[in-house]
Amino acid sequence: MNDDFKSIPVFDKEKALSRVHYKEDLLDRVLLIYQKSLVDRRAIMTQELFMQNWEALKNLAHSIKGSSLTIGAEQLGEVSYAMEKAAEEKDLDLFNKLFKIFQESIARYIEFDKYE
Amino acid sequence: MNNKIRFLIVEDDEMIRLIHKDFLGDLYPECDIIEAENGAQGICHYFESRPDIILLDMMMPIMGGEAFLDILEEGHQTNILKDKPKIIVVTAIKDVKELMSIGKRFAVEAVISKPLVQTQLKSLLQDWIPKNE
Repeated sequence: MNDDFKSIPVFDKEKALSRVHYKEDLLDRVLLIYQKSLVDRRAIMTQELFMQNWEALKNLAHSIKGSSLTIGAEQLGEVSYAMEKAAEEKDLDLFNKLFKIFQESIARYIEFDKYE
Repeated sequence: MNNKIRFLIVEDDEMIRLIHKDFLGDLYPECDIIEAENGAQGICHYFESRPDIILLDMMMPIMGGEAFLDILEEGHQTNILKDKPKIIVVTAIKDVKELMSIGKRFAVEAVISKPLVQTQLKSLLQDWIPKNE
């Protein structure tokens, strides 16, 4: 996943703007909510992973996928899609690997957002 | 239905609710928009407010869209509920079989995939809601 994966855009601003009809102020609000929910969900996911609560993990990954693809956070959209599938299969080894990639993707997103 | 249309957004993601709300507010400035974070809240708001159109997410904590639809459909089948709101499912589910089975449900008028393409939603709404009289 990794090499190709890193070539996927961290954040596609044009796509994000088109989702909010090019309203910059609305986009700012949307991105604030997105980043907060991302960090919150990661924390919940860590707990659920410890308990191997697959249903909760699947739902969390699904939610992150939906919001990430909505605002053009492409890497996070893809990795959360893969995590959703891994949770469906209850594949702990795969989920752990994807969760690591997910955390790295969050770090890249936050770093990217800082300089935007 | 007129421009005073009432929408209910049932969606756990605050960010997506905000985007829906802004879009609907632009399209129908006089409309009422009610928000619910899950199916259980959605059912309560439905009984309180009788919305004309519902935007429904499927996978939500506490109570998902499936259970929300079950309750409304049972209400209609037993004639307890008289009004039939138009329900648009907006979902990030990608499985075609699953999407088809949601689309076949009695209560569901349309299924739109996330990320939501707002022109799709707009054209659906414009078919249902006459231009402001």
